[in-house]
Amino acid sequence: MSTDFWSSSHYRKWIVDHVTIRESRAEDLRYVDDPEHLDFLGIFFANIITKLCKKLSLRQRVIGTATVFFRRFYLKNSYCETEPFIVAAACCYVAAKAEESPVHIKNVVMEARSLFSQDRYGVKNFPSDNTKLAEMEFYLLDDLECDLTVFNPYRPLLAFCRKEGTQQRTQNTWLPEMEIGEVGVAVDSKDAERYWGNGEGQLELNEGALQLAWFIINDTYRADICLLYPPHLIAIAAIYLTLILHQQIRETVIPLLAHDAPEPSSTSNEPPRRSSRQQPGGGISTPRRQAQDPVSFLAGLNVSMPTIFNIAQHIISLYALWDRYKEDGAPESQARSGNHSAVASPLTQGSTPGTSHKRTMTASRGGSMSAPGPTSGSRTPGSEGGTPVIVTPAFLTKMLTRMREAKMADLAHPASGRPVNKMLERTQAAG
Amino acid sequence: MAMLEDWSSKSDQMRYYRSKKDSSKLTVSSKYTILGFISSGTYGRVYKAQSLEAEDRDRLYAIKKFKPDKEGDVITYTGVSQSAIREIALNREIRHDNVVALKEVMLEEKSIFMVFEYAEHDFLQVIHHHSQTLRSSIPTAVLKSLIYQLLNGLIYLHSAHILHRDLKPANVLITSTGIVKIGDLGLARLSSQPLQALHVGDKVVVTIWYRAPELLLGAKHYNKKIDLWAVGCVMAELASLRPVFKGEEAKMDAKKQIPFQRDQMGKIVDVLGPPTTREWPGMVHMPEYNSMKSIDQSQQNRLKEWCHSRIRSQQGYDLLRLLFIYDPDKRLSAEDAIKHGWFYEDPKPTWNSFQSLNAAQIPPHRRITQDDAPSMVTSQHNTQHARPGSGMSAQTHGLGTGLGTHTQGLGSQGVGTQGYGVQTGYGTYNTQTQGYNAQGQGTGGTRKKARLDR
Repeated sequence: MSTDFWSSSHYRKWIVDHVTIRESRAEDLRYVDDPEHLDFLGIFFANIITKLCKKLSLRQRVIGTATVFFRRFYLKNSYCETEPFIVAAACCYVAAKAEESPVHIKNVVMEARSLFSQDRYGVKNFPSDNTKLAEMEFYLLDDLECDLTVFNPYRPLLAFCRKEGTQQRTQNTWLPEMEIGEVGVAVDSKDAERYWGNGEGQLELNEGALQLAWFIINDTYRADICLLYPPHLIAIAAIYLTLILHQQIRETVIPLLAHDAPEPSSTSNEPPRRSSRQQPGGGISTPRRQAQDPVSFLAGLNVSMPTIFNIAQHIISLYALWDRYKEDGAPESQARSGNHSAVASPLTQGSTPGTSHKRTMTASRGGSMSAPGPTSGSRTPGSEGGTPVIVTPAFLTKMLTRMREAKMADLAHPASGRPVNKMLERTQAAG
Repeated sequence: MAMLEDWSSKSDQMRYYRSKKDSSKLTVSSKYTILGFISSGTYGRVYKAQSLEAEDRDRLYAIKKFKPDKEGDVITYTGVSQSAIREIALNREIRHDNVVALKEVMLEEKSIFMVFEYAEHDFLQVIHHHSQTLRSSIPTAVLKSLIYQLLNGLIYLHSAHILHRDLKPANVLITSTGIVKIGDLGLARLSSQPLQALHVGDKVVVTIWYRAPELLLGAKHYNKKIDLWAVGCVMAELASLRPVFKGEEAKMDAKKQIPFQRDQMGKIVDVLGPPTTREWPGMVHMPEYNSMKSIDQSQQNRLKEWCHSRIRSQQGYDLLRLLFIYDPDKRLSAEDAIKHGWFYEDPKPTWNSFQSLNAAQIPPHRRITQDDAPSMVTSQHNTQHARPGSGMSAQTHGLGTGLGTHTQGLGSQGVGTQGYGVQTGYGTYNTQTQGYNAQGQGTGGTRKKARLDR
C-alpha cells in the first residue's frame, strides 16, 4: 500500500525470527507427540484457507493475505487454546475486506460450514450464526493489532520478471490473478530497480516458468516463510528455484555455468556478459536489450544471496514435508494430481509444467536435501507417538481435538499438576 | 471452577481464548478521560479525550467510535464495515506531518475506537470564523500556508498510492500550532497506475461541491487528479469564504441509478465556461457526455474576474486555473502544484499557518459538549441521535457487514449528499440541521445565534 515496504507495519512488526516462532508454539508443543505435527497443521490450514477462498471466488492475493493473518494470529495464540477452523474462516473474511474484495459474512459462514463439515475435516458444529464469525473477526483484528496491509510476493515477482516477448510488466495479463495496482505493492516498477544491482532490468521467462514461480509463491504460504522473510526476497527465491526446476531453463543455464562460474558479488556496469552464449530456443528467449540471462540476473541482484538460499532451502524442506501429507488419506497417485489443483504444489500440479517438476523435485529430494522443517528443530521422526508415514486431515483433526481436551483438562485440574507434558517427556527420554 | 468446565464445551471452543483476552485487555476508559463529545455522523461519534498514561499524560486525542450494530435493542456483532477496515488499514501504515496520525485502535464492547491525534481547528471552522465573526477575508499568508501544507500532505498520500476521495474544508484539520492535517480517510482508497475501475467499490465519491468534472461525467476510471480538483475548490472557498461551485445534488432515482449532476456541472460552467473537446479530448468517452450537451454552451470562462477581487494575485489565479483544468491528464499534480510560483512570492507559506495572526484572529477552539459523553461507555445514546435526516446513514451502517459494492455506493452517497452543516475531519455530518445542533448545543449555540441575529 504505502509504496515503501520498509516503513510498513509488515516490515516493522511482523517479520520475526525463528526463535519467536518457536516460542509461539511452546504451549502446543506440550500436547503433541511430534513437533513436526505442528508443521503439518500449517499445511493443513493453509490448504483449508485456500479452499474456502476459492469457494468464495477470492483471488490468490486474498488467499495469501488470509494465510498471513492466520499465521500472525498463531504467533500470539496456541492451537490447543483455540478453534483454528473459525480463526481460518475469520481470516478469509477479513482478508477479503482488506484486499478490497469483500464477501458477505453469510456466504463465508455458509461456505465454511459446508467445507468444514466434509468427512475429512469432521467439523459438524461450525456456528451457523453470523454473529459468531463476526465476534471472531473482532478478536482477530485485535490480535492482528489492526495491521491489515500485507505485502505479498506476487507483485515483486512481476516486477522482477516479465513474460518473454512482452515489453511491459502490465502486459502480464495471462495470469487470472493479475491485478493492477492494489494493496501490497511491495516492490513496484520503480522500486524494483534498486534491487537490480547493475540496473539491467527484468528477467524474461517463458509462460510456463513464470507460472511455476507463481505456484512456488502460492506454496510458500504453507510454511512460516511469510513470517520470516520480506516478500521481495521470497519472490527472488521462487525465481531461483524456478531456474533450477524448470527443465528448459535448466538446460539453458547449465552451459552458462560450465563455461563461466558466476560471481555473485559482481555489480559491474558492463552489459550482461553471458548473453552472447544464450542458446536460442531455450526457456529464455533471445534477449532484448533490457532482458538478462538468468545467471547475470541473479548475480546482479542487490540482495543477500545467503538469505535467498535459506528461503529456497526452507521451501524445499516444505515440499519434503508436504509430500507426506495427503488430503484424502490415500497415498499420492498420478490419478488424483489433476483434481486438486487448488491446493497442489508443483509436485502435484496437474498442468503442463507440472509433470516435469514432479520428477525434478523427487530427484533432488532423494539427494542431499534433508533440511530441517521450519519449527521442528532437532526432531526425531517416528518417535514414541507413532508418526504415521502419511499424515491425513483425519489424523490432524483428531490430534487437534486431543490437544484441546488435554489443555482444558489441565486447566480444570491445576492442582494435580500437569499430567501430560509431552515436551518434557521427550526431553527426558532424550536424556 | 464451574466456568472452567465450560471451556471445553463442544459448542464454543473459543470461550477460553476470549476470557483470556478479555481479562488482559486495557479498556478505553482506563487509558483515556473523555472530555466531551465533538461530532457524529454516519460512522458513529467522535469524542475529545485526554491520555491517562504516564508517557503522554494529558495529551489530547480525538477518539472516533464506530457505531456498533444493533438488532433491536441488543448490540450484536455483524461484521466490521468495509470502510472501517479500509480506514484502519490505511491509517496503520501512514505517517506524515500533514496527515492526521492514528495513535491506536481499541476494540471494546463490540465497538471500534480509533484514537487520533487531536486537532483544534479545521478549514471549515476557519471559513466560518472569518465569514461570521471577523467578517473579513482570510489573509493571503494564512490561505497560502493552508493550501501549501494541504498539498504537502496530498503529495505524501499520492506517493503512497492513496486517493483521498473526500477532500473538503471539513476534512482538513489544523492543530493549535497551525499545522495542517488531512483527516478522514474513510473514503480513501489505494490506486496505482494503470488504474483499475475504481468505481466498482464506491459508486459515488467526493462531496458534490468538490467533485471533479470527470466524476460528474460518470468516469469509471479516475485518478489522483480528482483530489487536485477538490484542492482547487477548497482554495477558492478559503479565498471567497463560500463554496465556489455550490450545486444542488440530484438524488438517486427509484432504480438506484445515479443521475447526471446537471446543476453541479452548471455551476462549474458558470465560472469556467463549458469544457470543449479540444481542451479535453477524453470527454467524448465519458458516459454522460451527451448529457453535457444540454448545458448552456455560450458561457465564457470568467475565472480571472472571479479571482480578481478574491485572490488578488496573478500567480494565485494561475494556480487555481491549473487546478481547474477540465482534462484530468492536464490538471496539475500535487507535486507540480506545490512548486507553483504563487508559493514563492510574498507572503511566503509558513509551517505555523497562523503565524501572521494576532490572538483574536485565530479561530476559537473546537466546541465540545458534555451531555453526550457518557454514551462513549454505555453506547446507549446512538438511537437518540438517529434523526430523520440520518436515515440513509442508519441504513448504510446497518449493512456494514461487507455487503460490498452496492452498500458502499449508498454509503458514499450518504456522505456526499450533506449540506453545509458542521463537520469535522474525523468524520462528517450527515445533515445540515444535525450539524448545527451538535455544535450549537448548550449555551454556545444560543450565543452564536444571538450574535447572528444582531
